[in-house]
Amino acid sequence: METLKNLFYSKTTAWLLALMLAVAVPPLAGGYLVSILILICIWSIMCFSINIIYGYTGQLSLGQAAFFGIGAYAFGILTVKLHMGFWPAFLAAVVITGLIGFLIGIPALKLRGPYFILVTLGFSVIIGVVLVAWVDLTGGANGLAGIPRPNPVPLPWGGQLSFDSLLSMYYFVLFFLLIIMVFTHRLISSLLGKTLVAISYNETLTESLGINTMSRKILSFTISAVLAAIAGVFYGSYNVVISPEIAYFARGMDVVAYLIVGGAGTMAGPILGTLVLMAVPELLQVVPSLKTLINGIILMLFLVFLPSGITGGIDTLWAKIFRSRIRQYGPARG
Amino acid sequence: MTEFFQYILNGISQGCIYILLASGLTLIFGIMNVPNFAQGHLYMVGAYFGFYMVMSLAMNYWLALILSTIALGFIGLLLFRFVFYPMRDTPEVNLFVAAMALLMILEGAALYFFGTETKWFVVPFSRKVLTFGDLSLPVQRVIVILGTLVVMTFLHLFIKKTSIGATLEATAQQREGAMLCGIKVARVSALAFMIGTGLAGIAGVLIGPAVLLEPTMGMGPLLVAFSAVVFGGMGSIPGAILGAFILGLVESLASGYISATYSLTFVFGIMIIMLLFRPKGLLGKETWRP
Amino acid sequence: MALLEVNGLTKRFGGLAAVEDLDFSIQAGELLSIIGPNGAGKTTLFNLLTGFYRPTSGRIIFNGADITGLKPHCITRSGMGRTFQMTHIFRNSTVLDNVIIGQTSHSRIGLLGSILGTPSARREKKKVIEKAKEIISFVELADQEDKTAYSLTEESKKRLSIALALATEPKLLLLDEPAAGVNLEEMGGLMELIGRIRKSGISVCLIEHRMRMVMSISDRIIVLSYGRNIADGTPEEVANNENVIKAYLGGYRVAQC
Repeated sequence: METLKNLFYSKTTAWLLALMLAVAVPPLAGGYLVSILILICIWSIMCFSINIIYGYTGQLSLGQAAFFGIGAYAFGILTVKLHMGFWPAFLAAVVITGLIGFLIGIPALKLRGPYFILVTLGFSVIIGVVLVAWVDLTGGANGLAGIPRPNPVPLPWGGQLSFDSLLSMYYFVLFFLLIIMVFTHRLISSLLGKTLVAISYNETLTESLGINTMSRKILSFTISAVLAAIAGVFYGSYNVVISPEIAYFARGMDVVAYLIVGGAGTMAGPILGTLVLMAVPELLQVVPSLKTLINGIILMLFLVFLPSGITGGIDTLWAKIFRSRIRQYGPARG
Repeated sequence: MTEFFQYILNGISQGCIYILLASGLTLIFGIMNVPNFAQGHLYMVGAYFGFYMVMSLAMNYWLALILSTIALGFIGLLLFRFVFYPMRDTPEVNLFVAAMALLMILEGAALYFFGTETKWFVVPFSRKVLTFGDLSLPVQRVIVILGTLVVMTFLHLFIKKTSIGATLEATAQQREGAMLCGIKVARVSALAFMIGTGLAGIAGVLIGPAVLLEPTMGMGPLLVAFSAVVFGGMGSIPGAILGAFILGLVESLASGYISATYSLTFVFGIMIIMLLFRPKGLLGKETWRP
Repeated sequence: MALLEVNGLTKRFGGLAAVEDLDFSIQAGELLSIIGPNGAGKTTLFNLLTGFYRPTSGRIIFNGADITGLKPHCITRSGMGRTFQMTHIFRNSTVLDNVIIGQTSHSRIGLLGSILGTPSARREKKKVIEKAKEIISFVELADQEDKTAYSLTEESKKRLSIALALATEPKLLLLDEPAAGVNLEEMGGLMELIGRIRKSGISVCLIEHRMRMVMSISDRIIVLSYGRNIADGTPEEVANNENVIKAYLGGYRVAQC
């Protein structure tokens, strides 16, 4: 019991420490660092997106990049071309993407294993084609520019909090990341969450228990499409400019790599994975085209040697040191 | 009307490439349950390999074709030995992710080493075009068709007439049974892998001179080839061939009559429809459940 | 009216008929056993009854309703529970978590409720946990409630898979080889458990190879051979049936234990 208490305390303190760092350090950091932090938050949200459909529900969707792109472009078109306000456009973009996710999910989730993966991959490639080809709607290869930051928020003591600066944008995205993390945690602890994990372990058994696995898979897929859209909207808002590359199918695979390296089916996995695979190369100024190659190699190494990812490795190490029970993870485990 | 026949002709040669890719996919999937998402990129590697041998090393085209095939087969062996065979007992989904990781590696490598410039694969008969009345077909595409016929005939004879081929077929259908019969499943699986990736290599070098080489040239053919496997009936090579042939024609017709940009979308859409209404494909058999 | 009625049930895979023209029924309160050589179609029959396979032809009528072609989760909800030959359980969850998941179809927690942590969601969760503990003590696994499923003995795993099926509140319980892989003493325990299940009002249909169990607890036995029903009667009738003897002596062994 003593050792389990240690484990519990350590995890909570680790999270609190991380939160404190996340809130306190950025004002001291330079602009370049803050922009990386914003990207880490955005890609962590993407990672949570794939974590829900793959880490917890066991369906490997390679289409998250498409939902990211649809979310970003829907937001961009609504704000730049239709002059909608930030918040209505944000809501609309997320709802539209969620709806598309729902509609794609219905046929796609009828398929098992590799065929589902293939359909999501195909969807991603096709969306990439559409974003380039439908020039009237999307601006083609040039994309869209002038995507707005969130509207200034009036403060109770007068004045307003505007989001033009990188730092304020960072806190904005961090805030939503935290909400999404709380949401994910509550979802997973709920009975619905337990059934999703059950589906990932043994779909046949879950069906035989009277659980409509199809509707739950569709729900999970839709939620992950919504999360990807949120990340897309934030990216558009932060970057002001978007172009079809953001929906390139390999981006969807990058996120899967981040998740697995971090640890699929955990709360810390998405963040750790994004930090390691995204931030480190960014800081080391690694050439973009080399990143996918490196991500692929690192992912391959983890798959062969440590499929449960960094969190899995830490937990196993911890268990060896303290001889406590090892937690169980999502599908891609050793 | 000539338009129609021209599209058919183009579709046949394109369909041949898909036949090669789809057969490779079926072999690899059948033997190890690995959907080789990287098949398109291996085809791209084959094309670039052939390109460098002919253009930079001034090698004979046919020699380059053979060497490229061997090289891609060798890559398949390495993949089997160091990735997929060690992972054979892990959860199935890990294998799928590994195939995806392979795709990422090849994609990244292609972008990094070849950049985004396109290359022209020039071969003595590149410029020549055969004409039959109003129809024309570049010689290279004729070579594609003939090459595919030769390769598939060899493959058929190999599987049906040799004992190794029979072993391969048996193992693909019933792994445990094959093991009990004393068949060295690992060796047979390695062979299936090598043939699978080798076929991608052949396809790449065959089509190389007829198209623009670019690092992204593999994705479209991958999706069509996969669609062909699903459409024709998962798990059977005849199904893959039939599916590949039909979808090659469909793509060509869609490209000509509807839109070249969206031809892939069209083909993919047909596969989705097939999946929804007849999941086992044209020639497939119903799958057993636990 | 019979609890379960099967008419002309046939299932073909390609050219092979796994199950052909089956007719039988199960009365409420009965225990029916299905026996037959390996490959005779017994598990295929279960898969057909529970909706995992679609019949090529024939009808299945359960509790007065035609359930032919319905999806598995609908059939379970209408009152037919099952276990699997391969002892499907959630290996990486605790026994308690397993049975909690098993109750999902009968609990009323909504998504929004659980995320917001409303009082009604919390009450429902308490109810679910209590019910799960009841079922766990019924199958006599109370002392292993917190153990992870993969660490259980084979017999405990079987009990857990039965607990899972019981959590769906079935009227008819299909057990696929519940005594496979357990020793004599454990088999006795399972027979006792099945007896208590029947007493609680649940009808049982059993696939088994272990004749001692089949002969002692069955009200009726059906014998399948090559997908066809070759005998249907009480244990004594079936034991003396010529066709049955021929089917078994035709090269197949029956475990006499």
